[in-house]
Amino acid sequence: MRRRTFLAASAMGLAAPAVGRAQDSRVLRFIPQADLTVLDPMWTTAYVTRNHAFMVYDTLFGQDSQYRPSPQMLEGFSTGDNGKTWTLTLRPGLLFHDNEPVRARDCVASLERWGKRDAFGSALMAATDELVAKDDRTLVFRLKKPFPLLPAALAKTPLFMPAIMPERIARTDPFTQVTEMIGSGPFRFKADERVPGARVVYEKFAGYKPRDGGPTDWTSGPKVVHFDRVEWTTIPDPTTAAQALINGEQDWWDYATADLMGLLARSRGVKVVVQEPSGQIATFRMNHLQPPFNNPAIRRALLGAVSQEDVVTAVVGTDPKMSRTGVGFFCPDTPMASSVGLDMLAGPRDMGRVKRELKAAGYKNERVVLLAATDFPVLKAMADVTADMLKRAGMNVDYQATDWGSVVTRRAKKDPVEAGGWSAFCTAWAGTDHLNPAGHIPLRANGEQGWFGWPNDPRIEQLRTAWFDAPDVPAQAAICAEIQREAFGSLPYIPLGQYLQPTAYRSSLDGVLNGFALFWNVRRA
Amino acid sequence: MLGYLTRRVLATIPVMAIVALFVFSLLYIAPGDPAAIIAGDQATPADVERIRAGLGLDRPFLIRFGEWLWQVVRGDLGVSIFTNLPVTRLIQQRLEPTVSLMILTLILSIVIAVPMGVLAAWNQGTWIDRAIMVLAVFGFSVPVFVVGYLLAYVFALDGFGLGLDWFPVQGYTPLARGFGPWLSNLVLPSVALGGVYIALIARITRATMLEVLSQDYIRTAKAKGVGSRTVLFLHALKNAAVPIVTVIGIGVALLIGGAVVTESVFAIPGLGRLVVDAILRRDYPVIQGVVLLFSFVYVLVNLGVDLLYTVFDPRIRY
Repeated sequence: MRRRTFLAASAMGLAAPAVGRAQDSRVLRFIPQADLTVLDPMWTTAYVTRNHAFMVYDTLFGQDSQYRPSPQMLEGFSTGDNGKTWTLTLRPGLLFHDNEPVRARDCVASLERWGKRDAFGSALMAATDELVAKDDRTLVFRLKKPFPLLPAALAKTPLFMPAIMPERIARTDPFTQVTEMIGSGPFRFKADERVPGARVVYEKFAGYKPRDGGPTDWTSGPKVVHFDRVEWTTIPDPTTAAQALINGEQDWWDYATADLMGLLARSRGVKVVVQEPSGQIATFRMNHLQPPFNNPAIRRALLGAVSQEDVVTAVVGTDPKMSRTGVGFFCPDTPMASSVGLDMLAGPRDMGRVKRELKAAGYKNERVVLLAATDFPVLKAMADVTADMLKRAGMNVDYQATDWGSVVTRRAKKDPVEAGGWSAFCTAWAGTDHLNPAGHIPLRANGEQGWFGWPNDPRIEQLRTAWFDAPDVPAQAAICAEIQREAFGSLPYIPLGQYLQPTAYRSSLDGVLNGFALFWNVRRA
Repeated sequence: MLGYLTRRVLATIPVMAIVALFVFSLLYIAPGDPAAIIAGDQATPADVERIRAGLGLDRPFLIRFGEWLWQVVRGDLGVSIFTNLPVTRLIQQRLEPTVSLMILTLILSIVIAVPMGVLAAWNQGTWIDRAIMVLAVFGFSVPVFVVGYLLAYVFALDGFGLGLDWFPVQGYTPLARGFGPWLSNLVLPSVALGGVYIALIARITRATMLEVLSQDYIRTAKAKGVGSRTVLFLHALKNAAVPIVTVIGIGVALLIGGAVVTESVFAIPGLGRLVVDAILRRDYPVIQGVVLLFSFVYVLVNLGVDLLYTVFDPRIRY
C-alpha cells in the first residue's frame, strides 16, 4: 500500500509543473491554425502570417466587424481637391519596437512595398500620382483621380494587410522576406524564443499607445492588451490540440476541427464559438486554357451538377448553423453580395440533363485531372465530393491524390493533362477575401496574367475597374451584381458554398473579439 | 582496434557523400516547389516565379548540389528556405527533445524487454511465455498513435475517472528546467514509442535465449549444480547478447521513424516533426541537413554495436 502511495505521489510530482504552467494568468497559450513559417506578411498569403502580422504591426486604418474603416494609427485625415488629395496625420507618440518613433516616411515606404504585392494596394498605387511624407506626422496622397476606397484599402484585414514597418526594413524588395520583425503593433515578437515549427512567443509592447475612446471592434478602436505574453504552440494533430485545450494546458485553439466540435462542446471549461461570421468559401477552380474546361458551354453545363450542400456537409457536417448554401461570388451577408444568378444553384440536381448538356456543349470524354490535396482534410473532402459530382455528370475523372505542396506546384503548369497539366482543383478562401472585387483573386479574369486557371473575361475586368471609381456603396453593390451576373456566365470558378470555422477556448477567457484571432481586449476572467 | 576504429570512421565519409547525393537527387526530381508553397494559395504565377528566382531555385542541379556540398564540407548546412534561419540552429533547437525521447525509450525498452524475453524463454510453453508473446504481438500490431491517444486519454485526461490525470497531454520541457518536468513530458511518449521496440527486443531475446539454453555448456552448468539465476544471466544471457545488441542497434532506425509519429501526437518539438514539416513544405536545406544527421547517427550507432560485440564475445577481435 505504501509503495502505491509513493508511486501516486511521484506521478503527481511529475504532473505538478504542467498544472502550474496552466495556471499562469499573465500568459495566454494559443494553438494557431497552422505553423507560422513565414513572418513577413508581404512574402506569403498564409492566413497565419496575417494573424501574426496584426500582433506585431499596426495599420493606419482599422476595420470594424461591419467592414467600416476608421483611423487606427491616424489622429485623423482630410481630403481636398475633389477627392484627389488625402492628407493623413499620425497620432503623436507612436513607437516602433526598437523605440524609434513612427514617422510618415516609414508609412510611405511601407505602403509602397505593400502596393507592389496587394491587388487592392496596386489599384490604389495605380491611381496615385504621388505619395509623400510632408513632415514626420503627415503623409499625403496626391491622386490622378478620386479613389474613395482609400481608407478601405488601408484598413484591409485579408491577406497582405498594409503593415507599417520602419523605412529601413520597408525598403526590402517585396519578393524578399524581411529578416527583422520590428513593428509598432501591440506585441513585440520574441525572435530569441522562436522554435520554427513548434513555438512563437510575443510579449506586450510597453511602448504601445492604444488610441483613446471608441469601442474595440476587430482591428478598430483601442487595442488594449491584458496579457504579458502570448505563446503560440503549433500542435499539428487535432486530437492532441483538443486534448490539450480540455486539459487546460492551452487556452485557445484557433481552428477547432468540425469532427471534434462535439467533444469540445461537451467538455467542461471549454467554449466553442464562431468568431468569424464570414467563414470560408469553398471553390472549384477549372483550367480555362485546356480541354474540356476551356469550353465555356461545358463549364456552364457543369453548374447544373453542383450541390453546395453536399460539399459543405462533407466539410463541416450537417449542422445548418455551420454552413450556408446559395453562395455566389461575394461573401454572403456582406454589402456586395447579391442573389443574381443564384437560381442556377438551387433546386434538385438533374444529372441526366447535365450529361445531355455536356454532350451538346461538345464534351468528348476528355480526361479531367482533378488535383486533390490529401494533407488538408477540408480540401480533400471538397475534392472527394467534387470528383463524385463530375463522375455522376458523366465526366472522365482522373482523381490525383497528392499533398498540397505538389498541388501548388502542379497547378502552375499550363500544359495539357497528357503533358502533366491539370483540369481542376478545389480550395477555400476566407470570406473576407470575397468581400469585394478589390482583393478577390479567383474572380479576376485577366487571362494568363491572373491566378492559376487563367480565366479570361474582359467584361469582368472592366466592371472591376469601374467598381474602384464607384462613388458610394449602392453604386458599388450594383456593379458587383453585374459582375456576378457575368461570372455566372463565364464561370471563372464555381462557388461550392460557405462554411464557418469554429474556434475553441477556455471559458476563463473573456473579451475574445470577432474576426480572426486577435489578442487585444481578451483577458482572463 | 585503433586501426579498425579509424578505418570505420573514415568509411563514414563516402557513406555520407552517397547519402547526400541520393537525398539531393531525390528532392530534385520529387514534385513540389517551395516557392509556390511560400507564395501561398493566392499568389499569382508571376509572384511564384519571382520568389523562385530570389531563392535561386531556378539554377541547374549541378550548381545547386555543388554549392550545397561545399557548404556541408565547411560544416554549414545552409539556411532554411522558409524560416530564413540556419539549418544548424534549427537542428540544435530540436535535438534535445528527440535525443531525450529516444534515450528514455531505449532505456525503458531494454529494461522491460530483455527480462521479458528471458522470462519467456525460461518458461517456454507455459502461460507466462504465451502471455509475454501475446503482449509482444500487441506491441507490434497497435500503431504508435493509437497507443499515444489511449495513454493520453487515461493518464492525462483521466478518461476513466480514476484520478489518473498525472501527465500533460503534450509538449516538452527542457531538462535545464528540472528533471521532474522533463520526465513528466516524456513518460507517455516514451511508453507509446517503446511498444514496438519492446516487442521486437523481447521476441529476439526469447528466440536467442532458447537457442543458447539448448547448448551443451548450459546443460553442463546445470549438471554441475550452478544456480538457475547464474545459468540464466551469467552463462546464457551473455552469450545471447550479440544478436540482442544487434537488434537494439537496428532498432534505432525504427525509433527514428517512430519518433516522427510520436512527436506529432504529443506535440514534441523534435527532429522528427522538423523533417516532416520540411518535407511537406519542400524546405530542401532542412530535409538534407536532418537526413544527413540521421544517417550519421545511424552509422555511429552501428559502429558502437560492432564495438560492443567485443565486450560480450571475447572471441571477436578487430
